[in-house]
Amino acid sequence: MVIKTLAELDGIRRACLIVREILERIRESIRPGISTYDIEEISVKIMERKKVIPAFKGYAGYPGNICVSVNEEVVHGIPRKDKVLKEGDIVSVDIGVIYNGFYGDCADTFPVGRISKEHKKLIEVTKKAFNIGIEQIKEGATTGDIGSAIQKFVEENGFSVVRAFAGHGIGRKLHEYPEVANFGEKGEGEILKEGMVLCVEPMVNEGTYEVKILEDGWTAITIDGKFSAHYENEVIVRKEKGEVLS
Amino acid sequence: MNKEEKVKLKGKIVKALPGTTFEVELENGHKIYAHLAGKMRMHYIKIIPGDEVLVEISPYDLTRGRIIRRY
Repeated sequence: MVIKTLAELDGIRRACLIVREILERIRESIRPGISTYDIEEISVKIMERKKVIPAFKGYAGYPGNICVSVNEEVVHGIPRKDKVLKEGDIVSVDIGVIYNGFYGDCADTFPVGRISKEHKKLIEVTKKAFNIGIEQIKEGATTGDIGSAIQKFVEENGFSVVRAFAGHGIGRKLHEYPEVANFGEKGEGEILKEGMVLCVEPMVNEGTYEVKILEDGWTAITIDGKFSAHYENEVIVRKEKGEVLS
Repeated sequence: MNKEEKVKLKGKIVKALPGTTFEVELENGHKIYAHLAGKMRMHYIKIIPGDEVLVEISPYDLTRGRIIRRY
């Protein structure tokens, strides 16, 4: 259980704002025809200018700087030159940076060109699920409250929520205690205290929630090949509610 | 010496304050005070509450910014 001081919270806030800016730039530059490697390059350029370090590079041996997951890939897609985006794809970009020793970690899913109604709904539900999840956050609530709210909302909309990956605490390390699962029962899990910083990241699948890892050891795809969306943001636990950081 | 680059973010004007200062709400819900960039003042770019703007924030002080663009 890590309670952050005000100065630490400020450092994390800065890291998050930088991630948000990179994500906004990527949103503007995504179009059919660019590869996931190009997306990585855009983000690395901005990171260099801002003097921040990509947090994923080398984390447990991860080879890329950021994670770019297209369509049926759920998370941890390694950027590749031969993975070219085409009209109708959805691409989720997960970025982590280290700024002065503090970690910022956020993700968003973007449409490529025009996408079908179904996929648009998937992206919207994912983002809304995040918002509903963080509404539960207050002092004394538990991680299970967040997870159950997310799961309930997602399943009401006919999608499923990935079980294999979960949100996490964050701060001076990329993954800190506690784990924030995106499913569960109310009242389960760890009790939240003011000053904790959490990464809440619902991953929503169109079909089944089951995922498998590809041979590269990282990329997770849905078993049935249906699309998946991801949204992640950092939240500070406050007395009455959660403060979203980016 | 190289200065640290500022963070550029989109926001919405909430309130107009004296001295071409504005209260801007960022997309993440944070509220900051931002003044109008000199270039925008020179060209009499008028800004009213409800406008979407681009603000530049220094990583050293996250509560103040500079409006550099109106959309």
